[in-house]
Amino acid sequence: AEAYFPVGPGLGMEENFLSLDDILMSQEKLPGRAESSLPRLALLLGQGAGSGESVPEGSKLEIPLWLAKGLHDSKRRIISVELPKIYKEAWRTVFSADANVVDLHKMGPYYYGFGSQLLNFENPENPEIAQTILQATVSDSVCSPQTFVARFRRIMDSSQNAYNEDTSALVARLDELERALFQVGQKGLNDFQCWEKGQASQITASSLVQNYGKRKLAEVDG
Amino acid sequence: MEPAEVEFLAEKELVTIVPNFSLDRIHLIGGDLGPFNPGLPVEVPVWLAINLKQRQKCRLIPPEWMDVGKLEEIRDQERKEDTFTPMPSPYYMELTKLLLNYASDNIPRADEIRTLVKDTWDTRMAKLRLSADSFVGQQEVHAKLDNLTLMEINTTRTFLTQALDHMYKLRTNLQPGESSHSQDF
Repeated sequence: AEAYFPVGPGLGMEENFLSLDDILMSQEKLPGRAESSLPRLALLLGQGAGSGESVPEGSKLEIPLWLAKGLHDSKRRIISVELPKIYKEAWRTVFSADANVVDLHKMGPYYYGFGSQLLNFENPENPEIAQTILQATVSDSVCSPQTFVARFRRIMDSSQNAYNEDTSALVARLDELERALFQVGQKGLNDFQCWEKGQASQITASSLVQNYGKRKLAEVDG
Repeated sequence: MEPAEVEFLAEKELVTIVPNFSLDRIHLIGGDLGPFNPGLPVEVPVWLAINLKQRQKCRLIPPEWMDVGKLEEIRDQERKEDTFTPMPSPYYMELTKLLLNYASDNIPRADEIRTLVKDTWDTRMAKLRLSADSFVGQQEVHAKLDNLTLMEINTTRTFLTQALDHMYKLRTNLQPGESSHSQDF
């Protein structure tokens, strides 16, 4: 058997090894358990203080996703992972009831990406998780991928209607994927409004450069 | 695509002007223009019309759809129908903005026209959003919308395509046997 397992090129929605979003997302932690004793790794995994301590079998760990994915192997039991609360049945019913009330940013800012990656660990609940993340169609089985679709309308309306307002209240409850979408919607709106006012053809100083002037004055004043 | 680019494309539309100078026919790469005789109406592209107007060399004649009665009809029809009504010009928004900004003295009741066009625009954008929402909500793979203008499409293009991208990725999660995700050796 090989000592190392090759891991796929990228863990995340963009499936790009160098994508910052993917890297940040794969750093989110999963609850897990050590299936065998892990010699001398206690310090690395946050379990002990001494550099020589080992992690005893069966102890609970919090592992980042990238590590869990790399160590996960059905043949050699090194660790086993458990679903985070938000993907479990209790939360899935909340999502199917009304997906719009959930504060997805608090629940782990990468709900969709992380959820998609969780499907790689063989878990009997996988079809239901996949469904909840996307949208809840009319079905008695718990969760469909409704979350994204149910929240889509809210994101579209708020991003296209909030011109020149403080949007922090609107984005506070969105996860990272939704926030990116929101920003794109806002940009479309802002570009149009700016064009309509005639500002599109005006030359203005770049916001990056405006700050240089400010700093220089501060230095001069001492 | 930026709104400014859409406006650039819109400036190729023809509009009627009444010049106050005379000039022989000019030959441009895109075609011939003129001849220009004072007091005689002639059709030119909007980019030239705006330029001449700014140099006070002509008077603009508004297109026949840029009239309060006609626009009210269009607005009411748009509000009545669930689908998009055909617009009198595929660049109605851009032409309105350009002509009303540079030649409002040649257009009667300019403010009302501005308001009417804005109302029609708002109604159409609301319909577009409704249609996008039902598209995503029913997870359809194909939709067809007639009579949309380029500026409307441009405003929602990036948002809609990105959202559909995400939806597609999430939907492929549903496929059993996700060989696309894991690699087994």
